[in-house]
Amino acid sequence: MMGLHIPTGFFPDLLAGMVVNFEIAAIALLFGLALGGLLALGRLTGGVVGAIATALIGLMRAAPTFVVMFFLLNIIPRDAMLFGVGVSPSPLMIVALSLVPYSASYVADNGAESLKQLRAGSPLGALQFLPNVTRAFFVLVMSSSAGAAIGVTEGIAVILREAVLLPALGDKLVLFAIGILFFGVTLQAGFALMRLLQRHLGRFATRNSAAP
Amino acid sequence: MRAWRTLLLALLGILGGAVATFPLAVNAETPDAALAKLLEGARAEAAVPGACTAAHLDRLVQIFCEKRLRAGIREYYPLFGAREGEARSGYDVDVGRAVAKHLGVEPVFTRVNAASRIPLLAEDRIDLAIATMGHNTQRDGQVRFIRPHYYQSETTVVGPRALAVKGWPDVAGRTICVTIGNGSNAQIISHNVRLMLFDEAGVLPDRLKDDTCTLAAQDDSFFAYYFTHPDFAKNYEQKFGFAQVPWGMAVARTGSDQLARALDLTSQIFHRDGVFLGIARGNSVGLGFLERQQAVWKRPECNTDTGSTNPACVLPALDAALQPTPFAGRATAIEDWVEARTGVDFSLPMFKTMPAWSLFKDGIVNSLILVAGALAATLLFALVLGALQSSRRFLLRWPARAGSIVLQSSPVVLTLVIAAAVAQAFFHYSSAVAIGAAIVALGLMNGSNAGQAIAEAMHTLRAERGSAQGTGGIPTTELFGRAVSRSATQIVSFLINAAKGTPIASFIGAPELLSALTDITSFASGRATTYTLLLVFYVAVVVVVVWLCDRFRSWLEHRQAAA
Repeated sequence: MMGLHIPTGFFPDLLAGMVVNFEIAAIALLFGLALGGLLALGRLTGGVVGAIATALIGLMRAAPTFVVMFFLLNIIPRDAMLFGVGVSPSPLMIVALSLVPYSASYVADNGAESLKQLRAGSPLGALQFLPNVTRAFFVLVMSSSAGAAIGVTEGIAVILREAVLLPALGDKLVLFAIGILFFGVTLQAGFALMRLLQRHLGRFATRNSAAP
Repeated sequence: MRAWRTLLLALLGILGGAVATFPLAVNAETPDAALAKLLEGARAEAAVPGACTAAHLDRLVQIFCEKRLRAGIREYYPLFGAREGEARSGYDVDVGRAVAKHLGVEPVFTRVNAASRIPLLAEDRIDLAIATMGHNTQRDGQVRFIRPHYYQSETTVVGPRALAVKGWPDVAGRTICVTIGNGSNAQIISHNVRLMLFDEAGVLPDRLKDDTCTLAAQDDSFFAYYFTHPDFAKNYEQKFGFAQVPWGMAVARTGSDQLARALDLTSQIFHRDGVFLGIARGNSVGLGFLERQQAVWKRPECNTDTGSTNPACVLPALDAALQPTPFAGRATAIEDWVEARTGVDFSLPMFKTMPAWSLFKDGIVNSLILVAGALAATLLFALVLGALQSSRRFLLRWPARAGSIVLQSSPVVLTLVIAAAVAQAFFHYSSAVAIGAAIVALGLMNGSNAGQAIAEAMHTLRAERGSAQGTGGIPTTELFGRAVSRSATQIVSFLINAAKGTPIASFIGAPELLSALTDITSFASGRATTYTLLLVFYVAVVVVVVWLCDRFRSWLEHRQAAA
């Protein structure tokens, strides 16, 4: 461990890799909001549409992200075309798409709950959707590390690339600790932001209800 | 006089008998003489008026009729077959030129690739393929390979110079980038190596450079070109090689008997006289195999007209055939049935060969072990960490809380890698160790969250009822039981999460179903069907786990209600 030498470019690379994690999470959440929103509306509609939406949400909840990622990677042809335009997704996009079942089912569950709250006359309850989505975003950031398995150069891939060159377990553990610190600070900051948002919304709702 | 004649006849008879008894000693010819005789006969046949228009001519005679040798060569295989404008270069190209010169005809080159080289021979559009073609038993049924082989490649593992890798023990548990369909993938898998699959070999050097791949495996003939680049050679090296495959020139199986024989003899002569070696030097390709072959073909027992059929001199073809399963026929019938009715290219590679079937079965069993283990470990760590975080003792409570925060802050892939690295420090790497490490990692990750939920429930219960035994409250163990019941929803949620997370164990080499199917698709076709089945399997497993967990939650909640 005394001889641990971290190359100069490691920290910039790690930060650049973490930007990729955020990028993946943002794409997954955007798709999730669109799809999950539709599913939430569908579920609340009831009847056949509601049953189909509920079944789809259940299936998406059950689909393991890592398997979905390999499924998409192998099922979409490299030369896939749509209206003459190449639509084969990049590895980064495949990771993002693999997270969509999780984000969409999460958005559908929370979205349906928020809509119920709104219909029941509780805007504060409905606004809980925002901190919940923030929580989902940071869970997606952490989950996007699965991209390392298919060659996406995100934060964890940068750490593993350095670790593989270190022969001693102690040195590797120091490097891993740096990774946990970087991701941990990000995650905890995200959760702090979520709590702040919850408090702010609470005060906002209290002020509104107190107003004449 | 008659007596002398009788004696002379008797002596001739004895001499004749001796010749008949030791035919090799007397009849053995040099390959040069045998070739000269064969070529002379073919030339004479070609020179007969009207002979060249006759049907069923041997291709050797046809070559003399047309005074040209049609050779199929590659155009995008650096060092072996390359083309810039009209200029062709490479080892295969120069071998084609040397063969044509030896026959006294002009070479005419036709571009071939891996898919077209055999059909072009069968369609009589080329006389000879010199196209980096490995000689294996499967191809023996499609073309006639020329022996001795004109080159030999092996699969080489390439990686950064700074990485200490010398052999198989050093790569167990690591990921190696390979191309789909590479014949040596099955051998790589057998050494507990994970594969990252790519469609084209051409991307491997770039993926090494951008650090997507730490190690890559491909033909040494492929990497030879990249090692001529100073930048690449400075940073990367060949770690070790395996799966040697002899390369053969090839002719069509029918109508090429004399041509094949002539080329066998030519190849012998080229090895013995160092012609192949000289061409290889001129093209900067590896010389090891050719140097060894020169020594072989200089040996008296090999340097004969029968040397190319002598097992002591020639190399065997690589046995690439995979043993079929007893139900391979039924699997094919199902594939055909589905394709005929739906038009979907349906493939079941896991049911067709024994190595694939074995990987598939083991993958399912290991996945189920992993799921069961992850559920048990999650529950166990949840109870232990929940109890520690609920403790009134600072020295128990705070380390447990700190540990939970660290576990929650680590991305799942990193936690798995840490678990695998620690396990490898204590145990020799094996599939069981990888599965064990994955179970512990998944259990810790999910158990820490569930444990926190239990501790929070414990805190609320204490606040509601007062706690300590002997102060009028209820016993701590009973209170803890109620806390577990109260946090049932959270525990169940993390149990399901643990089950869903098990496929990621393949990242550290646990041979579960995802890993097994990735291995199968590396040497067999049918990726779409294979990964669809994989998705169905895991969704079904998670659905069952959800159902079981719901029953578990109901039991816990019923218990809480009763309390």
